[in-house]
Amino acid sequence: MQTARQQDPQSLVAAVRGAIKHYPGVLALDDVDFEIRRGEVRALLGKNGAGKSTLIRLLTGATVPDGGEVTIDGAALTGSGTQRTIEAARLGVRAVYQELSLIVGMSIAENLFLGRWPSTMAVLSHGEMEHQARETLARLGLKLDPRRGVVTLSPAERQLVEIARVMIGEPKLVILDEPTSSLKAAEVELLFRAVRSLAAAGIAVIYVSHRMSEIRQIAQAATVMRDGKIAGTVEVAGADTAEIVRLMLGHNEQRDRLVEVATGGPAVLSVRDLTVASKLSGLSFDLKRGEVLGLAGLLGSGRTELLKAISGLDPVRSGTVLLDGKDITRVSYGERVKNGIGMTPESRKEDGILPLLGVDENTVATDFSKVAVKGVISASRMAEAARDIIRRIGIKTARSDTPVGTLSGGNQQKVVIGRWVYAGSRILLLDEPTRGVDVEAKSQIYAIIRQLAAEGKSIIFVSSEIEELPKVCDRVLVLKDGRLIQEFMAPDIDTDTLMAACL
Amino acid sequence: MSATTTSRRRGFRLFALDMNEIGLIVILLVLYFGFGATTNGFLSANNHLSLLRDAASIAIAAWAVTLIIIAGEIDVSVGPMVAFTSVCLAFMLKADVNVVLAILAALAIGGALGTFAGSLRAYFGVPSFVATLGLWSALRGMSFFTTNALPVTFPDNAFLDILADNMFGIPTSAVVMLVLFAIFSFVSQKTAYGRSIFAVGGNANAAELCGINVARIRVLIFTTSGVMAALAGVLLTARLGSGNAGTASGLEFDVIAAVVIGGTALSGGRGSMLGTLLGVFVITLIGNGLVLRGINPFFQEVVRGVIIVAAVLANILVTRYRERRIFGA
Repeated sequence: MQTARQQDPQSLVAAVRGAIKHYPGVLALDDVDFEIRRGEVRALLGKNGAGKSTLIRLLTGATVPDGGEVTIDGAALTGSGTQRTIEAARLGVRAVYQELSLIVGMSIAENLFLGRWPSTMAVLSHGEMEHQARETLARLGLKLDPRRGVVTLSPAERQLVEIARVMIGEPKLVILDEPTSSLKAAEVELLFRAVRSLAAAGIAVIYVSHRMSEIRQIAQAATVMRDGKIAGTVEVAGADTAEIVRLMLGHNEQRDRLVEVATGGPAVLSVRDLTVASKLSGLSFDLKRGEVLGLAGLLGSGRTELLKAISGLDPVRSGTVLLDGKDITRVSYGERVKNGIGMTPESRKEDGILPLLGVDENTVATDFSKVAVKGVISASRMAEAARDIIRRIGIKTARSDTPVGTLSGGNQQKVVIGRWVYAGSRILLLDEPTRGVDVEAKSQIYAIIRQLAAEGKSIIFVSSEIEELPKVCDRVLVLKDGRLIQEFMAPDIDTDTLMAACL
Repeated sequence: MSATTTSRRRGFRLFALDMNEIGLIVILLVLYFGFGATTNGFLSANNHLSLLRDAASIAIAAWAVTLIIIAGEIDVSVGPMVAFTSVCLAFMLKADVNVVLAILAALAIGGALGTFAGSLRAYFGVPSFVATLGLWSALRGMSFFTTNALPVTFPDNAFLDILADNMFGIPTSAVVMLVLFAIFSFVSQKTAYGRSIFAVGGNANAAELCGINVARIRVLIFTTSGVMAALAGVLLTARLGSGNAGTASGLEFDVIAAVVIGGTALSGGRGSMLGTLLGVFVITLIGNGLVLRGINPFFQEVVRGVIIVAAVLANILVTRYRERRIFGA
């Protein structure tokens, strides 16, 4: 039956043929062919930068390919700019992204019809809107009152409302981008039910996710991308995780491992039975002096939550955090900073840099007193401290007072790390330090991390780019759904097995 | 790459950080010589003293409000705060409280009220506009309520006379203004407190992660603002010889206008005391010149409104130009 439908040209919902897309310095899509049919749920996988987002942007009309064509429901997209997005939407392409875009202060019904509220003579007709909303929710099998305010909904319910929103009009292709990353395990089933309703209604669904257990339940086939190409499309039923991993990673990974010997210093930080409300349960591990400890895990597995609990930014429900054997579980963030814990946030721009201030002030902001004489900041001491960090970390900046907002992402990240080196932190919690950073800066950051470890600092390194971990880590812990499920020691840290453990 | 960055960076210092200030100096010179050449009595010694006195009444509060705006907050309670502390001081003097104690008590009242507004912001997340708007209404009302809208007089006082008089040939209030200018410039540039204010205004999340106590900074700037408004109230009381519930009406807007004309961004993170000083003089010169020229007082308000918006628009255009040059690629 599957084959019969595949041959039927009528059933083709979207097709990408020979698509090529260049961005400065990268070939994001390299001659990509992609097809999806009515009622099909297709998983889309690939590492960061493999080309998934570009492929999705091609389908939604947000990006015009440099070569090749995109056909939706038999019609090729021809417009450019906003026109193309409107064209794709009219032909039935809908996308739901990770960041939720609901207006929290409004009701479900108002959100469903955002900007296109049914009205008669310029007066909104709430009755009609609620009626239509109720029908739409029912089609997805959702039991939600459309009059409820979005503010009262759980994250899962909000995600479902987002999906219900794409049902307005005549959707043909719905793209879900990591829809379960912020959901609890129990809520995932609700989402699956909605996805199955979509498929049963003949809508094609592209399901971007890396959770193999989910993919097995929901998708018929999985398309894996690598380096801007389709590495392969496999029937989910017949594929094992190892095969998917092989497709995702390929086998030309360089093994430029920076780790020399696994170190065995004393434990400086110990986490015991750490539980954080609905995010982490019963985590225990030690961090040794001079060790780089990697944390692997998918989006939403609890990586950031763990760092926040260790640094004291988020409260813990139970368990203890010990620093040099002393219980610091109830100690404030500020006190932990003074005791040598430093954290660099995942979002450099929103939580990391002080964009208008210079490299110097961004560096000394963690401890003004070190460059002050009797409470007065000494310009020469500050410049000296900044120059020292600029040299040690290798920050590329014209002057020590250049505003950090003007530096490249990689150099901004180095400043954010450098400020803790300046503060003398012994434990560095680095949340995605290589995100949005170019290749050269990445390898520089790896080198900085190893150098800091060699100086006796202990580092927890979080990365969603699995292949980074073997390069810098002495040990890697795998987090899955808020639990530590596996541990790997250098030199036996292997990208393939790590990836398989995460999925 | 580094060579072009360097020259750009220097250029940006000259043309953006200082361009606003250079522009203000040019505006000041034009206003000064324009009024000087065309308006009788503008260049007289007496008018210069009067200019300084007017400047001081805005500037003393404006120093603290500059810090508040750099931190990304706002304080609209300055005028009523001045009036309320002035009334409090007058009542205390009427009751024969020692003048020094009475002044200290007035400053403490201002500080306490500011701290209250700052705490609402820092610990309860009440927007500072709302917190200080509440004070704005309550303090003005309290002043009228306690005085029945009548001036509160008190016996002659030698110490207050010194404050109302001249020192080194210029008004004492202007001396206080200049001394405080030096202190505020120093604090904002050279102390951890001052730099933390810039950090909080530029990116509060990042400042918090650096271990800066953001809540404490937010409280302290409002405490400072309360004390400065009270000090302005003390000087005003000395000059008027009585406590007046209706005094300093609309002062908060002159103060905010001066700060904003001076190039401090309402979005926070950027600003300078020198800019505010120039902004204060722009506002004072315009007001003084228009009065001397005998322009209809209602129309003066129109001119002031136009100039405030034009100055801020110019500042925004400069900033946008700079960001396109520096941040955009």
